[in-house]
Amino acid sequence: MKATPGYQLALQQLTDSALPTGAFAHSFGFETYIERGLVRDEASFGVWLSAFVRQQLTFSDGLAIRLVYEDHPVAELDCLLTAQLLPRQLREASMKMGGRLLEIGGDVFPSQALQEYRGLVSSGRASGHQPLAFAVVARSLGVPVNKALAAYLFAAVTSLTQNAVRAVPLGQNAGQRLLRQAADAVAAAVERVGRLTPDDFGAVSPGLEISQMRHERQRARMFMS
Amino acid sequence: MSTTAVGLGSTVLSPPVADQPERGRLELVITQRDGRSRASRQFHEGALRVLRPHFLDGSGQVCFVLVNPGGAYLGADLYVIEVNVEDGARLLLTTQSATKIYRTPGSFAEQRMRLVLGDGAQLELAPDQLIAFREASYRQNTHVTVRPTSSLIMAEVVTPGWSPDGAAFRYEEVRLRTEIAVDTGEALQPLALDNLLIVPSDADVEGMGFMEGYSHVGSLLVVDRRVDQALADELHELTRMHEAYTGVSLTATVAGTTGLVLRSLSNSTEELQRLLQASTTLLRRRWYGQLPLDLRKY
Repeated sequence: MKATPGYQLALQQLTDSALPTGAFAHSFGFETYIERGLVRDEASFGVWLSAFVRQQLTFSDGLAIRLVYEDHPVAELDCLLTAQLLPRQLREASMKMGGRLLEIGGDVFPSQALQEYRGLVSSGRASGHQPLAFAVVARSLGVPVNKALAAYLFAAVTSLTQNAVRAVPLGQNAGQRLLRQAADAVAAAVERVGRLTPDDFGAVSPGLEISQMRHERQRARMFMS
Repeated sequence: MSTTAVGLGSTVLSPPVADQPERGRLELVITQRDGRSRASRQFHEGALRVLRPHFLDGSGQVCFVLVNPGGAYLGADLYVIEVNVEDGARLLLTTQSATKIYRTPGSFAEQRMRLVLGDGAQLELAPDQLIAFREASYRQNTHVTVRPTSSLIMAEVVTPGWSPDGAAFRYEEVRLRTEIAVDTGEALQPLALDNLLIVPSDADVEGMGFMEGYSHVGSLLVVDRRVDQALADELHELTRMHEAYTGVSLTATVAGTTGLVLRSLSNSTEELQRLLQASTTLLRRRWYGQLPLDLRKY
């Protein structure tokens, strides 16, 4: 056995926080909690982050990735994600980052499946969502589903934490402690995604959702979502 | 988009059809004739029926009141409601009293609702609150198909039932899944998938990032060609006068029609009902010149 699987470095590139998808511009609603004074330090951001991993990233992004691996047609999953991401900024963030990922992927990790998804998006038959674009690329690289899930979720957690370090603000070491904690939440989420049933798809937390909606009308904002 | 999109939504990604027997069934077809809406077909069976239809105002909108003579949903109960509001017809569907879910040990109660709206048809769904009591599991699956010219208003409040130790949140699980698709004439295209799943025993459900310290959830879903950002902003302003923690946003636009979603958290059923009523009052007055909904319960 080779010491490094063929996909390892590609996966690292794909989930590196330097990948230019614009993740630095999105709080996915935590900026609303900052404004309300509820997220104000390391501990309170940790509470928000673990709720985000357990809800949004599990029931929406995570399950969508798993369903791509189980051969559910991407066009249909794309349509369902557009319908399910009810807060407008959340939907737009997923499409914006997904669009960038499709573009980068087409450039550096081209595949037949990715070409097809890009074709659906460019002909207006799909919106191009981030978790689906990621799943299509990861699958074409031969990344096993649980590795893909863990890498995607941890990358999401990493960019959110980096954003919190700037916005709350938190110290750099606090950010690293949060990431170490979040790793356990990510591992639990990967395990849970595997046990979900299709009717769990898109189950929302009302609190996260309301905060994402209220962000649209927040006056002073650092983030687009 | 392809016609299979909703095929997936309604079959593959929908809850498995439970094999429990039907405890109640209601079928209703509403037709517009001579400026008034009336039932051209009405069928009920088991523990579901409707009261004699009436008109609350001169707008032609017919009001049906749904009654569950059994008084509550119990374990393994399945209720099926199918309503078709034909072209140009207008229906207000409400309930006689709160929907109560009692203990459902090892099982769940389920309501399956299929609503189809024709061209220019209007449906206003204004049920009383859902009360899930201790050890209750409930699934509500609602499939709505609208035309680009249909108008839909759905309001809903979920409250935790009282439990002997006084603590909120003692039900087991509540799932409210609503799928709305637009029939564009060529295809069925998903517009909104609203999947609310509350499992009070899950870690931290009561706190930040989920219920935010509240116990009651209210939702309003509106689909109409006249829904736009200005309306969303106006409803947001209106909700600011209420204590409940509320968000308002818009779905994508499909075939010229758009959905508006309002979600709200509170500790009081009355507070949520006031807020939802204020929102629907604005829509009723503006779109139909109707007065606030005044449901005298029979």
